[in-house]
Amino acid sequence: MSSDDELAERLRAGDETALREAYDRHGAAVLHLAQRLLANRADAEDVTQATFVAAWTGRDGYDPQRGTILGWLLGIARRKVVDRIRSSAREQRTTATVQAQPSVPPAGESPEKIVDRLVVADELGRLPDEQRRTLELAFFDDLTHPQIAAATGLPIGTVKSHIRRGMANLRRRWEVDGATSGSRSAGPSRAL
Amino acid sequence: MQHLDPDRLVLLALSEESEELTELDHLEHCAGCRHEMQALRDVADIGSQVRELRDLPPPPEHLWQAIEAGIAGTAAPSAPAAPVVDIAERRSRSPRSRPRWRTPLVAAAAAAVLAVAGTVAFDRITDDPAVERVTARATLTPLETVPPAAGGDVRVLSDGRLRIDVRNLPATPGFHEVWLLDPDTPGKMVAVGNLPGKAEAVLTVPPGTDLNRYRLVDVSDEPHDGDATHSGKSLLRGTLQK
Repeated sequence: MSSDDELAERLRAGDETALREAYDRHGAAVLHLAQRLLANRADAEDVTQATFVAAWTGRDGYDPQRGTILGWLLGIARRKVVDRIRSSAREQRTTATVQAQPSVPPAGESPEKIVDRLVVADELGRLPDEQRRTLELAFFDDLTHPQIAAATGLPIGTVKSHIRRGMANLRRRWEVDGATSGSRSAGPSRAL
Repeated sequence: MQHLDPDRLVLLALSEESEELTELDHLEHCAGCRHEMQALRDVADIGSQVRELRDLPPPPEHLWQAIEAGIAGTAAPSAPAAPVVDIAERRSRSPRSRPRWRTPLVAAAAAAVLAVAGTVAFDRITDDPAVERVTARATLTPLETVPPAAGGDVRVLSDGRLRIDVRNLPATPGFHEVWLLDPDTPGKMVAVGNLPGKAEAVLTVPPGTDLNRYRLVDVSDEPHDGDATHSGKSLLRGTLQK
């Protein structure tokens, strides 16, 4: 799997296979975001399509220094969702059709929270195996350090350092690509 | 002032252990440690919610094809995408055959649509051709005999593919077929293809079809009777709009 930098390089060079690679890697996340924000599946797919097309046409604007490809794509997708909601509101005003399928976001989650989860999930998947495994046991199975040591056969000191480093990695990624971390940007660790 | 040890912060953030009084006291006075702690708590909180995001289903292939269609023309021209949907074996008819008009119900409905359908132009959207590739769309609504929850959406793409998304269609022992009707001339219609047993499909509008004329999308219930013409049992209808 090529790195974001290499992928960005190929995208800029107009290599369509790089777009496909970005899509294979992140298409599901973009579609997930769109589906959580739009009531209807066809709209979510349209937004996903528009996102990747806009990523292609705007590929020169992607700067790997400022975030990962996933963060960039999710940012585009959020704007496309807003466009879609606006245009369907317009359509509903101008056409007389009475349709019980308004494309409004289902109540509940904020887009920021969904984006945060997607980037953290992506980063978790990129961690070295043992780091990832110990974090999964801590997050998903709610195991304590000693329990994780018992479950994995790793020494407790190793578990401790995997979790600390793993969390530091997730945090760094969240601060770069996440949507809500900006609200706390006053902190010292923002200087990355 | 003794700051909290990074390992200790992790244990506290994961709520694996709780703060000692001296630690609480420190946290109260030290913005740096408080900030670290909060960040780790947030990360742990987000992390605990991502389990089901690890294996998101891959998006449907037709979505990639729509993206390819969308970027075509923005780069070196490439070969057109292969037809997406296998026009199934039972479609022995020619897509441009002209089935006989079979029932008054369909004709009456077409007449009703005729009354409201205006003139529609199908210009390509020119302000941002790279992003917008839908050239026409329709919202499908159920006919009177069909449960009101049924419906659907249709998008015609600039490369002639027609994406249809249906919901709550009544079950049928036969199959569902998509047509483009000419509301001005009862009996004139183009068969576009049949729907697989799932919510969405991408079909191909026969090249050269005049969508200003054949603008009424119709989804019918077809029996397996070997008769290639419209059964007369229309379920959903909608007029294509730019």
